[in-house]
Amino acid sequence: MSQLNANNLGNTKEARLPRRDWILLPMLGLMTIALMVGSIRLVSVRMFAAAKITPRDCIVTNDPSTGFRAIPNSVCREKLPESQLIEYRFNSCGHRAGMECGSKPLGTYRIVMVGSSMGLGYSVAREKTFAALLPAELATLCQRKIELYNESMAGRPPRIVARRFSEVLAAKPDLVLWQLTSWDIELAASVLPEHDSPQAVNRAPSLPGETPGLLALVSSRVKVVFAMKRPLDGIAEVISHAQADSSVTNTALPLLHFLYESQSQYVKSYLMLPDHEAGFLKAQPSAEWQTHLAEFDMYATEIEAQCKAAGVPLVVVLLPNRMQVAMISMGDWPAGYDPYKLDDEVRSVITGHGGTFIDILPAFRNIPNPEQHYFPVDGHPNADGHRIISGLLAKALTSGAVPSLSVGQQQPNTQGEQGR
Amino acid sequence: MDNASFQFVIFGLAAALVSNFSRSYVWRSIVLFVASIVFLGLLSHDPIAFLPLAGFLLLGYALLFLIEQGWSRAMAWCILAVILVYVWLKKYTFLPEGAFLHFPYFTLGLSYIFFRVLHLIIETGDGAEKRHISLGAYLLYTINFTTFVSGPIQRYDEFAKDQFAVEPIVLGPRTIGLQLERMIRGFFKVNVLAMIFQAMQQDALAQMSQPLALNVKLFSAFRLIIIYPLFLYANFSGYIDIVIALARLMRVRLPENFDRPFSASSFLDFWNRWHITLSTWLKTYVYNPLLIALMRRIDSTSMEPVLGVFCFFVTFFLIGVWHGRTSEFVIFGVLQGGGISINKIWQLVLTSGLGRKGYKALAKNPAYIAFGRGLTFSWFAFTLFWFWANWKQIDTVFSALSVVDWLGVWLAVWLTAMVILALWEFVRAKLLSITAFGAPVFTSRYARVVYASALGLGAFVITVLLNQPAPDIVYKAF
Repeated sequence: MSQLNANNLGNTKEARLPRRDWILLPMLGLMTIALMVGSIRLVSVRMFAAAKITPRDCIVTNDPSTGFRAIPNSVCREKLPESQLIEYRFNSCGHRAGMECGSKPLGTYRIVMVGSSMGLGYSVAREKTFAALLPAELATLCQRKIELYNESMAGRPPRIVARRFSEVLAAKPDLVLWQLTSWDIELAASVLPEHDSPQAVNRAPSLPGETPGLLALVSSRVKVVFAMKRPLDGIAEVISHAQADSSVTNTALPLLHFLYESQSQYVKSYLMLPDHEAGFLKAQPSAEWQTHLAEFDMYATEIEAQCKAAGVPLVVVLLPNRMQVAMISMGDWPAGYDPYKLDDEVRSVITGHGGTFIDILPAFRNIPNPEQHYFPVDGHPNADGHRIISGLLAKALTSGAVPSLSVGQQQPNTQGEQGR
Repeated sequence: MDNASFQFVIFGLAAALVSNFSRSYVWRSIVLFVASIVFLGLLSHDPIAFLPLAGFLLLGYALLFLIEQGWSRAMAWCILAVILVYVWLKKYTFLPEGAFLHFPYFTLGLSYIFFRVLHLIIETGDGAEKRHISLGAYLLYTINFTTFVSGPIQRYDEFAKDQFAVEPIVLGPRTIGLQLERMIRGFFKVNVLAMIFQAMQQDALAQMSQPLALNVKLFSAFRLIIIYPLFLYANFSGYIDIVIALARLMRVRLPENFDRPFSASSFLDFWNRWHITLSTWLKTYVYNPLLIALMRRIDSTSMEPVLGVFCFFVTFFLIGVWHGRTSEFVIFGVLQGGGISINKIWQLVLTSGLGRKGYKALAKNPAYIAFGRGLTFSWFAFTLFWFWANWKQIDTVFSALSVVDWLGVWLAVWLTAMVILALWEFVRAKLLSITAFGAPVFTSRYARVVYASALGLGAFVITVLLNQPAPDIVYKAF
């Protein structure tokens, strides 16, 4: 029956529905739904399989005195749904450094890098991380021998970086590179992020075997609807909470992966997230984010003081997340938002205490679709993303911001206003 | 609530349910009225914001009352008054800024009310039979929540026939099933298809101003052109599907607004299938009277076709201009009117060259139809640049490629549309030819249950996962 005449049944008496249809039709509907869920699950398993082993076997996550730390000389492999199987090999000091800890070779300029998961190279093979690529790029530009010793650890916020900073200085660095992301600012005062912040659990990389399926997600949300006194509120509740749940939903992953590949769709969805996740993009940060920045300021002051006392220059960089680069690339964003805002705030904190801040965000304006170099759902940069970050860091570090790494007499790019 | 959200659908279903507690037209009218008032209340909580809309409605009723009282000679003045107040309230940019009201007020649905009010005034003024429309019936007709946001533009007699019927139209399990399936289809179109198309279009638009290789930009331009008509169709027709189904569940039949528009083999045919109620309204109240008036003044048979072309241009120019208040929509109107006029002239030239039989034979030729279908789609897609973009965006988009590149892209769009739409028509015809018990299998209630379940699940899951408000209905802005 066409659309036109389907509506025009008019005043004619309607024929009764055969009795069998009262059973057959609901059964057909249920079978269709079951088949669809099964198919999506199958696609999810085939295309976005996750391995059963996790890096948690190598990482101590429940020691408040140290924060997250790797077990020395441990090796783990992980396959996230969106990534390849990745090996995490930690040296005798518990660092994914690609080298043993100890004194640096003679005549080598040593950079020690600290930070969290992005610095660790989460979901990327070590040799493809920017930590591994940067020394060679710097060496080419500066014509000197440079090595980068990576002490970054997933789930290590500024408070723990400050607490364990003596380990950084013990590596005798010529320069300390502190890599930050919005996550580090949000959880600046945290010790064990997963325990301290319930929200952080949802955003933490999902672990295989701990993830509810799509049916579980939907059914839990439907239960919420029916538990509500006002159904409309219930539905609003479903929608507002779904994002947090969806990030840990294996079956939903193919759908989200597909939808988030669209730049505009990703931006739209991200801006719907609650303030604790998307608030750092607001042109006027909320009270919660101002508190986070104040906490960050406290630990940054402590770290900068330690560097100053040791006579080691500290260079800080904020690495953008997928949302920031998407917005920067589009060159246009909704009123009330500013992808550079956090960058400006962090620079203000760092330079306020005499530290050096290098700004790589504006450079993403000239990279077509930079968000494609991040895992759409997981949000960490992929191997291409690390390569781009490495190139931008090398350029920023050698353009005058760090005298010992300068190439020629270019002006330092520490103010970050260019190219916005 | 002013979009195809879960909330709107649930609100509509609740209203339909309560409406069916009694078959009495009084009860059904009370429910529709209360639901419409609640609907308006949910759209804005500021009563002051409704004052201009209320004033417009009262003006319409006062003028209608005057005409009912025998002032039909003043009909032209009444129409003019309604048009002027409408243009003023909609803040058309050709009026001085100082003339407008300077407080935020509610204009959603005003365009559709405008058409209904004019229709009532004209029909009452022209009416051979005398009729009286009560204030209650007038308000029910004009602020009916199912047609408030984006139409369809229903005739009053059709509305009254169903709404005030002592014996309401039948609503059994088959009809309910069909309407639920249509509602799910509409919800899927707006919340999934249109959302995906919109994202694709916005990505392509962003890429046009990015430092990309020429081949990537050419593909972006291709997507930019081809996606928007699909988005607009999914967005608008999906919403219309929902409201038609809701109204039917309230035992009112709304007119159809779409009839597979991309199957149209000419631009004239397209406007018989796209936003049907708007084009029908304008043909009835602009094209026909204008043509008759001109033919009375210019009494020449040879001029008839020319006058017809001119009237087509004026009618479809007005359709374009109605869509917006800015200069972009004037160009949109010129392109609509121009497309229709050229199409009409083409028909006239072919008819005079080939003869009526020859032209009819050509018009039935599958290759000619496919060619025309592709051209119609491409032309419509081209005109839509002045529909969705402002001058700055138009400049950015068109300056991203050279003239030769653009010509290549348009040619590619035309050929692609020609092939894809022809294939679609072929596949559709084949699928519908598969029958069981004398009816097509794919339109049976069993097939409908299968795809309604699939679309419903898909729409629900994606809506929940994306955690964002339902997309706006483009036509609510007009």
